[in-house]
Amino acid sequence: MEIAFWQILFLTVYAFVAQLDALSLQISLGNPLMAGFVTGLIMGNIPMGLTVGATLQLMVLGVATYGGATVPDFMSAAVIGTAFAIISGQDVEFAIGIALPIGLLLTQLDILARLSNTYFQHRADRYAEDGNADGVARMNLMGIIPWGLSRAIPVFLGLYFGSEVVKAITAYLPQWLMGGLKVAGGILPAMGVAILMRYLPLKKFYPFMIIGFVLAAYLKVSLIGIALIGFAVAAAYLFLKNELKPQTEGGDIDD
Amino acid sequence: MTDAKVEKKVTKRDLLSVFWRTILGLQMGWNYEKMQGLGYCFAIMPILKKLYKSKEEMTKALKLHLQFFNTTPAMAHLIVGADIAIEEEYGLANEDTISGIKTGLMGPFAGIGDTVFVAIYRTIVFSVASYMALQGNVIGALIPVIPAIAIWWVRYEFTVIGYEQGRRIAVGFANQLKQLTEGAAILGLTVIGGLAPAVVKANVPLVFKSGEVELKVQDMLNNIMPSMVPMAIVLLSYWLLGRKGFNSTKLIIFLLVLGVVLYNLKILG
Repeated sequence: MEIAFWQILFLTVYAFVAQLDALSLQISLGNPLMAGFVTGLIMGNIPMGLTVGATLQLMVLGVATYGGATVPDFMSAAVIGTAFAIISGQDVEFAIGIALPIGLLLTQLDILARLSNTYFQHRADRYAEDGNADGVARMNLMGIIPWGLSRAIPVFLGLYFGSEVVKAITAYLPQWLMGGLKVAGGILPAMGVAILMRYLPLKKFYPFMIIGFVLAAYLKVSLIGIALIGFAVAAAYLFLKNELKPQTEGGDIDD
Repeated sequence: MTDAKVEKKVTKRDLLSVFWRTILGLQMGWNYEKMQGLGYCFAIMPILKKLYKSKEEMTKALKLHLQFFNTTPAMAHLIVGADIAIEEEYGLANEDTISGIKTGLMGPFAGIGDTVFVAIYRTIVFSVASYMALQGNVIGALIPVIPAIAIWWVRYEFTVIGYEQGRRIAVGFANQLKQLTEGAAILGLTVIGGLAPAVVKANVPLVFKSGEVELKVQDMLNNIMPSMVPMAIVLLSYWLLGRKGFNSTKLIIFLLVLGVVLYNLKILG
């Protein structure tokens, strides 16, 4: 199918807004999962969007955008990859194979946005010298422009010139690479899992991870079931801990 | 809220305004030089306008708050709240105290916040959501919206708690947080253990033929332990991430190459 101009426009605006959401309200617009879903919705292939979005989401599960660490932009990549696959009538593996390198490439634009904002910081410093509070506040809001454009521009260009690019790609991609990328897409979620293990006190609490593994691998319990068991185990652990070691107040846990 | 002081300058409405400005603006001006400094100044602006009427004072206040700042966005509310309480009480007389509290708290709070609000929160919400989406369920994509809105409420409470606790905050609140963090870590690790078999796909198509007998390697592996290969890849990734100079971007490239190589060796398919 051909992509219509209104679809390009809508997805470009979405990418702009989604990035701003990721920085502020965080109602999940800026996640690859939502990006895949929205693109699937606009392009008329929701299952494809869901699968691509979820696969990319699992890869960046533990990748945090804190402390100025720049991470691959899998949100824009999910939009472009999903759209390309739908345009060219290809499968999910193709979409992910396209999205991965694009996401890595777009890391540079994230860096560019963070650099551009330094200019507004300097302007704000000058307003501060004059005691101009409104000027300082305005400079903070100016950051919206580099942030939004860092996602909107690649999505627009990618989709606008997309069909030619896709045709070229499909003509030249050999089977050894496509098959390989398909396998890679299957094992890449291991990264998200591994990053999370690095975050959490694994050495202290490793038995709980074994419980989760056995529940999933041997007993085929769904993740929601595992989360409930995990909650119960965590609560029990804290109760016991407070029983054995009298404290001034018991910590109650709630999500 | 109990307020003993008669002449309160900061109202609940001001706190609400600062809360929204922190959510919406803290990271908009994020830059490599002062990180969230510009956003912090933006967030606390209504209070500055209320407290400092002269140009000299305003200049001093703006410069103070444009300084370097960076922490987990959700935890920033506690710091802004405490900052407001102190400035309301002492104005800019104790610039060092304000700077000290901001810089002193942002590091430890980021440590707690990144664990609770980033690692554990994402593990639970997005692993469940992605899992549903992979099964073709649209609800999966929409699920994360609900806890995200619940987090707003947490962040509002943090603003108020921060304000009420003022400087005592770091001590009293940290003890409760420790318990909560431990419990959350256990929950997170249990889910992570279940995540590997659920989401990492690694099928071994190898078949050994010796005369009449066909041996499917995947069946053999399953008899030893189901999901052995996915778990092995997870553990390998975990080990790699612990090595010096290895980061997530390098790991992506490594896994991409590994996938292509193993496919062409017919080990995975």
